[in-house]
Amino acid sequence: MRRPVIAALVVVVGVLLLADFLVVNESLGEIAGLLVDAVILVAAGAALAGVASLAWRRGRDLWQRRGDPVGAIMVLTGIGAMLVAGLRPGAEGALDSAVSWLIGALLVPIAATLFGLLFVTTLSAARRSLASGNRDAILLVAAAMATLVLLLPLGGQVGTWLGEAAGWTLEVPVGAAFRGLLLGVAILTALFAARTLLGIGATDD
Amino acid sequence: MPSPAELIGRAVRFIGDILGASSLRFETGPTLVVLGVLLVLLQLVARPVSRWVSSDAGGLTSVGRAMALAAESGTDVVVSLGNAGLSRATDALARLQTLAALPALSHVARASARSGVPLRVLTADPLTMVVAGATVEAGHETTETRERRGRSRIVYVGEGRPAAAGLVMTTRAHPAAAFAIGSFREEATLSLEGLRGSAGTLTAGTAEPAQVSSVLLAGGALIGPAAYQVAADLRADPTERTMVMAANRLILLAVAAIVAGTLLTAAGVIDPGAILAGAVGE
Repeated sequence: MRRPVIAALVVVVGVLLLADFLVVNESLGEIAGLLVDAVILVAAGAALAGVASLAWRRGRDLWQRRGDPVGAIMVLTGIGAMLVAGLRPGAEGALDSAVSWLIGALLVPIAATLFGLLFVTTLSAARRSLASGNRDAILLVAAAMATLVLLLPLGGQVGTWLGEAAGWTLEVPVGAAFRGLLLGVAILTALFAARTLLGIGATDD
Repeated sequence: MPSPAELIGRAVRFIGDILGASSLRFETGPTLVVLGVLLVLLQLVARPVSRWVSSDAGGLTSVGRAMALAAESGTDVVVSLGNAGLSRATDALARLQTLAALPALSHVARASARSGVPLRVLTADPLTMVVAGATVEAGHETTETRERRGRSRIVYVGEGRPAAAGLVMTTRAHPAAAFAIGSFREEATLSLEGLRGSAGTLTAGTAEPAQVSSVLLAGGALIGPAAYQVAADLRADPTERTMVMAANRLILLAVAAIVAGTLLTAAGVIDPGAILAGAVGE
């Protein structure tokens, strides 16, 4: 164990939270609440430190004339604009109309424009995967084509049959694959989180 | 002053009082199930290296080849840690994937430090920048190549998922290899296609079940749980991997023999008891 104090702290906190999860006790509940609040505070402090570190680094890059000056100016201007909009006298913080305008009029449209490229990019990715002969990708594109046929807006008995088949596909094979993935991800998420907190890692050298 | 026996007595009484004032949140059965699951998880936690499975789903054993190509062509290698970061306003599952990508970054950072190939790490979160910087720094310290640290860069791609996708789609650099492991959410196809278009080879992975198709189209193989498992499969010693693979094949052979024997016995073709111990009455 490389960090025995941190690991011991994690074990103690973990046991307390587990006990609070299983047992109803007023004092235990208060201690658990206190611990959760402390974790939220630490996370908020870390986020603030991260932003400060970014601003410091970009500012230093600009001062020492190294790296990408345009990028540095953009980052510092963006941070400054948001800070001024949210923290100027009389502002309402994150709920201020100037902050909402910066997000709604600048960030969201830019994001939506990029998101609009998704259709074209997906087709391009499919074409490239088929050209490279990737077996998994070919199977994926074939399944997508089959689903496309099932979802055709046809009327009559054929349309009903296709709709039922599409519903069955979604509920049974796709549902099974998704649940399997989710189960595997959930188990390994718990394992990885515990290993990270306890400082247990694989030796890779 | 109380004697040690009195102190112990008071402590036991105190614990007894606490227990007396408590009640189980669930029934006895579910409580035991929760504790049982935790015991199994603890057993797995204590073994960070995969025991029964040895694979190279992400192709990380070929990092050395990628470094050789990069050194030969004078380009760099890119590692994208996804766009969830560690402190961004997203869910825990997405943020944990950033942590899961760090062992892979560490692996690539050591290889790049040894080879003298510049490393470019893309992050969408200031805190992840610091962590990634420390990981790259550690790679140079481990390999005693601190003089090469200045050639590698940690790039903050901007706030938000679209910014990360936009950067990789518009970049003019052509790295020899790119590794993209982490949470990419809806912009996964944009990010991975951007990297795939510019890089020589791409290894992609995400634990987002909804983005499996994007990873498959990008030619990556770290899907779902594999994105977390990759850290356990990073082994420097090829002998260890070979031993696990050999043991797996022996286990498969044993299982196949048991299944075949059971089927033959059920069909009345053979009598294992007679073969092994002789027929009864002989």
